[in-house]
Amino acid sequence: MGYPHKPHAKETVVLSKHFGDPEARTYKGWVRRGGYDTLHKALATDPAAIIEEVKASGLRGRGGAGFPTGLKWSFMPKEKKKPHYLCVNADESEPGTFKDREIMRWTPHALLEGTAIAAHAIRAEVAYIYVRGEFTEPLAILEKALAEASTAGVFGGIKIYLHRGAGAYICGEETALMNSIEGKRGNPRIKPPFPAASGVFGMPTTINNVETLVAVPPILKNGAAWYKAMSLSNPKSTGTKLFSVCGHIAKPGNYEVTMGFPLKDLLYELSGGMRPGRTLKACIPGGSSVPILNREESESCLLDYEGCVERGTMLGSGGVIVFDDTADMVYQIMRLARFYAHESCAQCTQCREGTAWTTRILERILTGQGATKDLDLLLDLADNMTGKTICVLSDSCAAPVVSGIKKFKSEFEAYIAGKKRPVAA
Amino acid sequence: MSAGTQEYQAVFAGKPRAQLEEVLTRYPTKQAALLPALWLVQRERGWISDRSMTEVAEVLGLTPAYVKGVVTFYTMYHQHPVGRNFVQICTTSPCNLCGAEDVVRAMLEHTGAKDLGATSSDGQWTVIEVECLGACGFATPMLINDDFIESVTPERVAELVKKYR
Amino acid sequence: MADGVINLTIDGVPVSVPSGTLVIEAAKQAGVLVPHYCYHPGLPVAGVCRMCLVEIEKAPKLQIACATAVTEGMVVKTQSSQAKSARQSVLEFLLINHPLDCPICDQAGECELQDFVFQEGRASTRYGEYPKRFNPVEDFGPDVLYVPNRCILCTRCVRFMEDVAQEPVLNVSERGDRAYIGIHPDARLDHPWAGNVVDLCPVGSLLSKDFLHKARAWEVDKSASVCTGCTQGCNVTLDVRDNVIVRVRPRPNLEVNRYFLCDHGRMNYRWMNRGDRIEAPLVKQDGELRAVDWDEALDRARRLLRGAGGGPGGGGKAVAIVSPKASTEALFLARRVLAGFAWTGAFQVTMGEEAPLAGVPNLALRPERAANVTGAELLGYVNGVSSALNLAQAAAVVLVLDEPDVPAPGAGALIYLGTTLPESARGAEVVLPIANMAEEEGTFVNRDGRVQRYFQAKSAPGMARPAWWALGELLDTPAAERPDSAAAAFDLLAGTVEGFAGLSYDALGLTGKRMGQGAGVPA
Repeated sequence: MGYPHKPHAKETVVLSKHFGDPEARTYKGWVRRGGYDTLHKALATDPAAIIEEVKASGLRGRGGAGFPTGLKWSFMPKEKKKPHYLCVNADESEPGTFKDREIMRWTPHALLEGTAIAAHAIRAEVAYIYVRGEFTEPLAILEKALAEASTAGVFGGIKIYLHRGAGAYICGEETALMNSIEGKRGNPRIKPPFPAASGVFGMPTTINNVETLVAVPPILKNGAAWYKAMSLSNPKSTGTKLFSVCGHIAKPGNYEVTMGFPLKDLLYELSGGMRPGRTLKACIPGGSSVPILNREESESCLLDYEGCVERGTMLGSGGVIVFDDTADMVYQIMRLARFYAHESCAQCTQCREGTAWTTRILERILTGQGATKDLDLLLDLADNMTGKTICVLSDSCAAPVVSGIKKFKSEFEAYIAGKKRPVAA
Repeated sequence: MSAGTQEYQAVFAGKPRAQLEEVLTRYPTKQAALLPALWLVQRERGWISDRSMTEVAEVLGLTPAYVKGVVTFYTMYHQHPVGRNFVQICTTSPCNLCGAEDVVRAMLEHTGAKDLGATSSDGQWTVIEVECLGACGFATPMLINDDFIESVTPERVAELVKKYR
Repeated sequence: MADGVINLTIDGVPVSVPSGTLVIEAAKQAGVLVPHYCYHPGLPVAGVCRMCLVEIEKAPKLQIACATAVTEGMVVKTQSSQAKSARQSVLEFLLINHPLDCPICDQAGECELQDFVFQEGRASTRYGEYPKRFNPVEDFGPDVLYVPNRCILCTRCVRFMEDVAQEPVLNVSERGDRAYIGIHPDARLDHPWAGNVVDLCPVGSLLSKDFLHKARAWEVDKSASVCTGCTQGCNVTLDVRDNVIVRVRPRPNLEVNRYFLCDHGRMNYRWMNRGDRIEAPLVKQDGELRAVDWDEALDRARRLLRGAGGGPGGGGKAVAIVSPKASTEALFLARRVLAGFAWTGAFQVTMGEEAPLAGVPNLALRPERAANVTGAELLGYVNGVSSALNLAQAAAVVLVLDEPDVPAPGAGALIYLGTTLPESARGAEVVLPIANMAEEEGTFVNRDGRVQRYFQAKSAPGMARPAWWALGELLDTPAAERPDSAAAAFDLLAGTVEGFAGLSYDALGLTGKRMGQGAGVPA
């Protein structure tokens, strides 16, 4: 939904409070809304205390992996021997996800504030905000905000730079992102070494997602207990989360809800439900890399890390892609496979060859040339593409294929049996 | 225009040079300025020629082959000249569900570019499909040059083309 | 157990290795070759081919043996069904775009893709009738062709140029299954060590133009040898087909050349195949050189040496001009043959540009373009022939050991041992046909005082014999005391010449031994 729009009564508005409010984009406007207060206090606080507070809040990474943020920060060397770096992952590219874009468009100072606090907490002098190349508007807004805030001198000794990507989904993977900052191909690195030991420029580094960092100032302002209390289901999932709802839905847009919120309510109430006359067929709750849910699973899924796992999927980045009864699942899965084939960095054999082969098989099924054994082959390839490569891009390609065949097999079979009109892929 | 037939004019002179110098202060290595340097080249020249890659390599202490390896990794760098208006339309799954392919068709028709990746005969338009632009809730998004345009429908295409022509 | 030693089990075999060792290297100690493509011990780890996936007990998923360090008590299984199936799958993925043109591929027979597919690949592909990726052959440099269709993108070549040669002239271009090894159009793969990318390539994607279609891998016999191109002493393998050297490749020696060989050394073999060889001993009769048998020629030479004052108490003057590419054994015996004389020995060496391999300390193509300069110097030969040539004017006998490029020396009797008959040897009293280094065995001493053996790779033409044998026959000692093998010649040397003391031919093995310190070896 475009902004300004009024939050739904069931939303818990923390991060999105100022979405649609153009004044919040300016430094003065942000300060008037209480902005940078927390940063001033944080800069005068012992980094260890900040890390403890964030740990206590239960905040987990919002980029997809859900790793506890405070714990991640605590991995940075206790004794500082080399420069420390913070990298902010604003390379939002996961199909179905557009929350970070909204944060940067409306509340650039929230990101800058969270960035500076995190840099202080991990004792980094320099933070790079890696903005995907296609985000021309968020980049321009951030540039302006950064210039204003820097002139106002709010960051203490911390330097924040924007680094523009240039078209590569994989740069959202943290080690690929670091390579990209270093002026290299965005190839993921083998781990270990982990970034906290040897990250960007070989120095101790922490990488955080945009949404993760904008949650930090409210946590410090209102206290860990306040944040931790926001949990509707599993206590391991706390706070609020922005869900990007898109696809076959009446009111697409970003909705901020408390962790553990029912997916059903997000779809049917906040997002206005299906388009007139349509029914829900399937839903991908966490961006294109997570398994697809069918209608029953979707309607019983709770939106937190554990709730999604219980339904056989993942919370991921919170990109909710909705498919109604008109969706051709075979075609959509082919589109997703094609996406991964396009984005594979080419390093690992299984990913480089497997994503392309998977796409070809799906394309052929769509043209009516498929065979029943192709489905077994797809599943076998998916198995060989899962858990065997440097990063999870090939796993991500496999996820919708496996869940798609499992849950919507009849649609594949219809093409194979010639019962459905072939589609040019 | 072939790079070999004319004397090559360096990109990094004057203002772009000054901008590059400022960029270099942001990083502990020269190599890290590669992506920003390539953006500067593309802004100045519209695309990144082999000769420009050599210039970037010289300026940053890299080899031309290294630079080319990086250029070819990132899909937003043009390795060939493109039309004055470069249109990137998202057709990944969520936008596809919302009719992105109809937008592509309309765009090809109205611009006269005819085929994806081809440049229209008047040199004005190049239209390509791209994977996820990260604005899935605003289907169908497209980039025309640096302008990010949301919620494009086939009906809006004619007006957009008129605006940029 | 000692500090820093890790005990683990690989396929049931217990091994102990230093901490920090990679599983793939530890496996070698257990006698287990973990199939791999991108890993190479001479290159930084890339971990991209995913071929070396192995099962490690307690690990949640398969791990790559090339990037996993050993830990105490680790239990590694390379043959578990999971690991085998993962590798089989990698092989299938690698083959979907591979042209399977082994019958016309130079790599066939020594191709790691062919080998591992044969060993554990699927019997047939499931790729079906999809078109394979096609890209035309590219000319990368003076000796390197790139056949992209065979490429498995292991990136060994890219890493070699980037990290070892430190001249990143190759790259990975594009992404996904469109990726290929690229080069900037204005650049050439012409680094002095570029040829190594051909050896490093595990498949037939990077080919040597020099070796192109010369031989199938199974047609060549391989002999351990040492490069004669400079004083570095890189260990090499000579590949011989039908008594012709067709290829020189590096042989690993971590202390000399690691895994590498420069292009100069790689191309420095054609002389070994020369056709214009001396095939019989020659003696001067009525002003003409005439072919005779060895007995007659040796008899003539011995008489000549004795008559010139070379016997005990003779005190005549002699000059030896030797090749710095001659074996240590021949150099030693030449000196010994002249032991009764007041003698002077000298050699000359062709000089060239030094070409270091930046990423490997103490490895370079050295300016002195001959293998045994150090050996010659240790044995008393001086570098530079001009004063020896002056002395030769008054010498009773001049012995030349395979040095065609000095003018016909002096007035004394000339005994010429050579592989070919240059103009300068036409005035010789005796010409003895000797084997070239590929046709004999022996040793060279490299610039660091490392004594290294080379082995016979092909047979010598006609009646040519190794120089150590011919010179041994000229010794003024009973026949039984003359060396009957290169080994005997070396052991005689080791027992005589300070600095070689303690070395034995057998113990030199395939990678050589450093001479004792303080033996006058140039630093």
